[in-house]
Amino acid sequence: MTAPAPQAFPGAAGVLGTAGLQAAAVAAGLAVSASASWPETDSDAEVSPLPGFIDSLFSPLIAEVAGRALSRRDRGCPRDQAAPDGTVIAIVLVTARGDVASAAQVAARVDAGRRVPPLHFFQSVPNAVAGYLAARWQLTGPVVCVSGIRAAMDAAALLIEDADADEALIVSVDLGLTGGAGDRAAAVIVTGPTGRPEAERHGPEGAA
Amino acid sequence: MTGGTPTARRGPGSVVVTGAGAASAYGRGVEALLSGVLSGEPAFALVERFGTANRRVHVAAAMPGSPDLLTELAQAVSEACDDAALPAAVRARSPLFLAVHGDPALARAADADQPGLGPDAFTVAVAGRGGLAEQGLRCYMSACVSASTAIADAAASIARGQVDRVVVAGGYLVEPDQFALFDAGRALADDGRVRPFSAGRRGLLLGDGVGAVVVESQESARARQAPLLARLAGWGRAGDAFHPVQPHPEGHGLARAVTAALQRAGLAGADLGYINAHGSGSPHSDRAEASALWLALGEAAGTVPVSSTKSLHGQALEASGALELIVTMLAARKGMLPVNAGFLDVDEECRLALVLGDALATMPEYAMSLNAAFGGANTALVVGLP
Repeated sequence: MTAPAPQAFPGAAGVLGTAGLQAAAVAAGLAVSASASWPETDSDAEVSPLPGFIDSLFSPLIAEVAGRALSRRDRGCPRDQAAPDGTVIAIVLVTARGDVASAAQVAARVDAGRRVPPLHFFQSVPNAVAGYLAARWQLTGPVVCVSGIRAAMDAAALLIEDADADEALIVSVDLGLTGGAGDRAAAVIVTGPTGRPEAERHGPEGAA
Repeated sequence: MTGGTPTARRGPGSVVVTGAGAASAYGRGVEALLSGVLSGEPAFALVERFGTANRRVHVAAAMPGSPDLLTELAQAVSEACDDAALPAAVRARSPLFLAVHGDPALARAADADQPGLGPDAFTVAVAGRGGLAEQGLRCYMSACVSASTAIADAAASIARGQVDRVVVAGGYLVEPDQFALFDAGRALADDGRVRPFSAGRRGLLLGDGVGAVVVESQESARARQAPLLARLAGWGRAGDAFHPVQPHPEGHGLARAVTAALQRAGLAGADLGYINAHGSGSPHSDRAEASALWLALGEAAGTVPVSSTKSLHGQALEASGALELIVTMLAARKGMLPVNAGFLDVDEECRLALVLGDALATMPEYAMSLNAAFGGANTALVVGLP
């Protein structure tokens, strides 16, 4: 059902991000079914814009690496969903500093007594791009954002162990300090160390 | 997949809350919070903390002056640990799960100063001021479900025996950046009141909120003969998979979160005696939440008393889950359910058994606190009287 994790492109700046995430996942007892990073190849020069998100690469980077990982997860699925019906995938974002580019722009406008663009309201929390991913790929599990890799892995492991999710998409992102240099993101899709019986995956039909 | 409900598994351990601390526009301390909420008088007033000249709305629920978030969080953590009768040596072994928007200093920091700032550094600072453990810290930045997610994670970890105790704290103090953002997004109520589930509701209003709880295994609490505030009987989290910022119009994700929380607690909807709803006062969100409650609870949705205490203390963003769980626990223990303030008239799409007029005198055996956020993130926490 799941594709093997592709080898990260040797020499790309994103290698450490992917390798670090994979190692952290394994340390937390999780199996990695797919991974992706930015930049991943020499052709990764410019992140594709994400409609509705402006002035910062934070959300576009998350969308890019998440989309790559999800599309590698199971190529047998329809284009608009990441997994077969019944598979619940959680989204766990991890960032050491958050969307500092957006936050700094808002602060500058506020300090200057200016209005802020309404679109900044919607991207003021990392949940918004998680919601985009959830809708785009039909990811119905919990949405979490934490600041540390270890916390992200532990949270994902517990969600899977407690059956709040079958799998978790974990995306790590941080913007460079100046001018886009050093912006990087990586994603892994993890499952529990042992698969659960199919009968357990499909609980009683909920009211929803 | 939006129709299935994951089997709500949990670890075998029982989880309790042994202490709480808070600050809000009603003042510092949980007693001020409870008496303020039970007064039924909303805490909204003109913002004096910063200028609002270029904003559409000029109202929030704020403490006097310009309190410092780190100081208020440390104070709430201390109050919670004192309430839980935690000796210093035990505090020093207890990790902190912190729910905040981020490091408040980061947005205006020079590049050279940024490496020393950030949510991790801020979490370490709060833990240090509170005398908590230096290891096992977490910072949650999941918008309005940050604190409730942290509490659910703490409970799940404790139930599985991974840790005996976690101090969970959340904090938001009304400040100009989020105020400007919510104003620009036309999310704030331009009539200066929050009217959850009411006809004519016009949006949310921000409010100061700092809350801390000591979440602990029942075994650990018993061993040290700690006072019990409540049992944390159930918790659930689920996503809408619908839209970046809008809730699923029928509340699918929230309904699954409620269902999972009830399953973990071993309860039916009719067992609930009170629901402190997310109830932001926003037109779409309240309608989706009412739908979710009918989906998850069935006919009980029409009889279980519901209020949103955001109509009183305002929207505390990342801290909401902690502040509102504390209100829910204290109100249930006192046997007085807070009023759903600001109500004008019935909205047929929000038919719930709202607590209207005055606080309702009844002592629920079980109560539930709900939160929802951008990204279609939803949480439900169920508490029972000890």
